[in-house]
Amino acid sequence: MTTSRNTAIRFALLAAPLLLAGCASLSGNGGMTPIQDAAKNHLGATLLAASTDQDLDGIDQRVAELLTKPLTADSAVQIALLNNRGLQASFQELGIAEAEMVQASRMPNPGFSIAKLKRGDEREIERGFSFDLGHLVALPLARQVESRRFAAVQRSVAMEMLSLAAETRKAFYAAVAAEQTASYMRDVRATADAGAELARRLAQAGNWTKLQQAREHGFFSEAVLNAARAESARVSARERLTRLMGLWGSQSAFALPARLPDLPADPQDRPDIEQVAMTTRLDVQGAKAMVEATAKNLGLSKVTRFINVLELGYQRNSSNEAPRQTGYEIGIEIPLFDWGDARIAKAEAVYMQSAHRAAKTAVEARSEVREAYQGYRSAYDVAKHFRDDVVPTAKRISDENVLLYNGMFISVFELLADARAQIASVNGSIEALRDFWVAQSDLDMALVGKPSLGGAGPSASVAGTGGGAAAH
Amino acid sequence: MFSRRNFFRGAGALTAAVSASAVSRVAMAALPEPVLQTKPDTMAPLVPNTGRPYNPVVTLNGWTLPWRMNQGVKEFHLVAEPVVRELAPGMKAHLWGYNGQSPGPTIEVVEGDRVRIFVTNRLPEHTSIHWHGQRLPNGMDGVSGLTQKSIQPGQTYVYEFVARRPGTFMYHPHADEMTQMAMGMMGFWVTHPKVKNPQIDEVDRDFCFLLNAFDIDPGAATPKIMTMTDFNLWCWNSRVFPGIDTLNVRKNDKVRIRIGNLTMTNHPIHVHGHEFTVTGTDGGPTPKAGRWPEVTTDIAVGQMRQIEFLADEEGDWAFHCHKSHHTMNAMGHNVPTMIGVDHRQVAKQITKLVPDYMVMGERGMADMGEMTMPLPDNTLPMMTGEGPFGGVEMGGMFSILKVRKDQKRGDYSDPGWYQHPKGEVAFPWTGALPEPARFAAEGGQSMPRLQRKDATAEVNVRKPSGHSGH
Ligand SMILES: [Cu+2]
Repeated sequence: MTTSRNTAIRFALLAAPLLLAGCASLSGNGGMTPIQDAAKNHLGATLLAASTDQDLDGIDQRVAELLTKPLTADSAVQIALLNNRGLQASFQELGIAEAEMVQASRMPNPGFSIAKLKRGDEREIERGFSFDLGHLVALPLARQVESRRFAAVQRSVAMEMLSLAAETRKAFYAAVAAEQTASYMRDVRATADAGAELARRLAQAGNWTKLQQAREHGFFSEAVLNAARAESARVSARERLTRLMGLWGSQSAFALPARLPDLPADPQDRPDIEQVAMTTRLDVQGAKAMVEATAKNLGLSKVTRFINVLELGYQRNSSNEAPRQTGYEIGIEIPLFDWGDARIAKAEAVYMQSAHRAAKTAVEARSEVREAYQGYRSAYDVAKHFRDDVVPTAKRISDENVLLYNGMFISVFELLADARAQIASVNGSIEALRDFWVAQSDLDMALVGKPSLGGAGPSASVAGTGGGAAAH
Repeated sequence: MFSRRNFFRGAGALTAAVSASAVSRVAMAALPEPVLQTKPDTMAPLVPNTGRPYNPVVTLNGWTLPWRMNQGVKEFHLVAEPVVRELAPGMKAHLWGYNGQSPGPTIEVVEGDRVRIFVTNRLPEHTSIHWHGQRLPNGMDGVSGLTQKSIQPGQTYVYEFVARRPGTFMYHPHADEMTQMAMGMMGFWVTHPKVKNPQIDEVDRDFCFLLNAFDIDPGAATPKIMTMTDFNLWCWNSRVFPGIDTLNVRKNDKVRIRIGNLTMTNHPIHVHGHEFTVTGTDGGPTPKAGRWPEVTTDIAVGQMRQIEFLADEEGDWAFHCHKSHHTMNAMGHNVPTMIGVDHRQVAKQITKLVPDYMVMGERGMADMGEMTMPLPDNTLPMMTGEGPFGGVEMGGMFSILKVRKDQKRGDYSDPGWYQHPKGEVAFPWTGALPEPARFAAEGGQSMPRLQRKDATAEVNVRKPSGHSGH
């Protein structure tokens, strides 16, 4: 009993690849599984290729649910992965590639031909049953090619998915930073407005000249300018995020957090980052796969240069005038003119090409990951310097100025001038923190594929202030 | 009372900065021991126990330098050195001075005394001493380069002359004097008359002090020596109110106050409740026939004034410079006047960027005296002092003449606040206040302007209306 079952299982196991090889079938989810796995492993996000209205409704619901709370970098990424129609379009491409692969791996239909010919009285009926043996023989090859192509499409879609995630993440930080800057600039404007009002009242009370009042008004007009610029930067940063998340209509009224996340206590120390990248980057993996594949092709070309030219048909010719002719007709294409050398040479060249490409990919990946890591470390240092030195120094100056104001050594206008001088450092610290998070996103991306380094989107430019503030 | 510390020990602590210019112990052994003072308090008069007798002075927040008699010569030892001087509790200044303090100790001698003064330089640069107002040999006048070589760091020079005329004098450097006087190097000198002088009256109490000024940024401790006019700390003997001691006297004491001006501006010194006469200058006693009664005498730069009066009115009498900025401590001189500018609402917006901002100055500067807000380190409030009836709102050159009938002779201690007899303190009127008749018939313009501009500037007079909600 046991033995026979084992035998049966063994037989099934042996037969399975044969069966599968004989007849590949559609995966049922358009080949999404590895993409979904990548999303889960690298991003902790879920993916759904929307093919039906129900799918779209499900996505809408999930997005609506995510939008009820202020966005986080992760929720923004999740929304983009579900809702970005460009990505959805690529998912469909994946489906197309899978269908083609499946198609290519199916047995060709046998052909049947019948001919009835007259030559005088002679009737010739020619029946032919042909089976594209070439196709059959080439089937494993075609299947390999198509599945490699499918795998390449999968990799490219996975890469597209990951870079959409990275871009969304960066756009999220840029939008939050722009929001923060805009809100700070609104405060500055309100304070400058107060200063201008105070100057007006001083002039009205007869304590100040019109000249002094006009000078004080300068801060206000500058602050209005800065607030307007910051607002414009805020809108474009937010719209970029909106586009990446594929939102429209009432969805685009999403809420962002008031502040960027704090700087982590310590930067990641990654001495082994290049090695890690060599194993984790999809483009490196893809290039390696391509080299292996072309290597196989090269071997295959050598082996199959004769097979490639073989055609096999079954013939049964019958004639009323002559005895039935039966038998096989085997035609062999003798490799007289095409020894396959050219094909081998091409395959070798293709192999070398893919080998060089793989090397280039690896070299670039190493460089990109180094650059991303360096960018990340220096962005950390800059943000930390802003946090630990620039901003506290500005705060100390401000505190000391308040003490001087308390002692009536300086006036409220000196306090305002000081606040004005601080604008650049506050703004700089917001941007430094944003750049850190962007660099972090780039680093994460560099570990899975080609990052688009830098480029956090537009930022508010601060108009130079007369109060000794550093020009921005 | 005096801390007669060993020179090397005491000076070492205070002058570590110039220890490179150490003075040889052997060389010092031959000199009179320099006496250092560590406290800025007013010391009791130093009654002479050697040399000719005299009636000693009291140096406000200062002291008199002890001497030794050496074969009939009065020997003093001044040590020029960096010092830390408390200008008032809560603020210490890094100054240069003599024997531990700025100003240096008062030198008291008697007319005809032969005086030998050892001057040791423990400053980081050369110095010299000029004896302001003295008749002396030209080579003893202390003008470096002109009458002597300057005293290099570590060197000790000797000045020797006879104190020829009685009077009120001072000493100060005459080498890089802009720096050295801005840093507080100066001291008082009194030559008492040897015999009864018809121009010089006997007094019960004899006070002296120098007027000096510093420019020290709020939060800093070292004077800005380049400042020429915009000083922010107006001092008597390097002290500011409330750090200046009161002048405590017995009722009907004859009081003499000697004042020297080493600032760069004049000071109208004013006493309440009494008239005085100027009885002497750095040129000597003023002729009695030329004296006239005053309550304020202006003391110009580089001058000395000796005023005398009979303290016959009991009470706590203000005694101060009459330039009102000189009775304030450090303040901003470019702060706009906020009087009449309501900015309570505006302030709320300002606190968005300056969270600790508070409204001040709308009613005047007295807010400053009332509010106790944190100031920069080592900084005194602009106006301060709590009297028996409330805030005195003073700083700088301000003190109090305290006249008491039960003050003991020779007792210089503070008797506390004056207890006013019943009915002798101003009081609030609670009766009706009839509207006064106003004078309407104004005179015309003597020279009217020909092309008058059409509109006169609109000026709003804001009168305080009841309680303004503070
Ligand atoms: Cu004055």
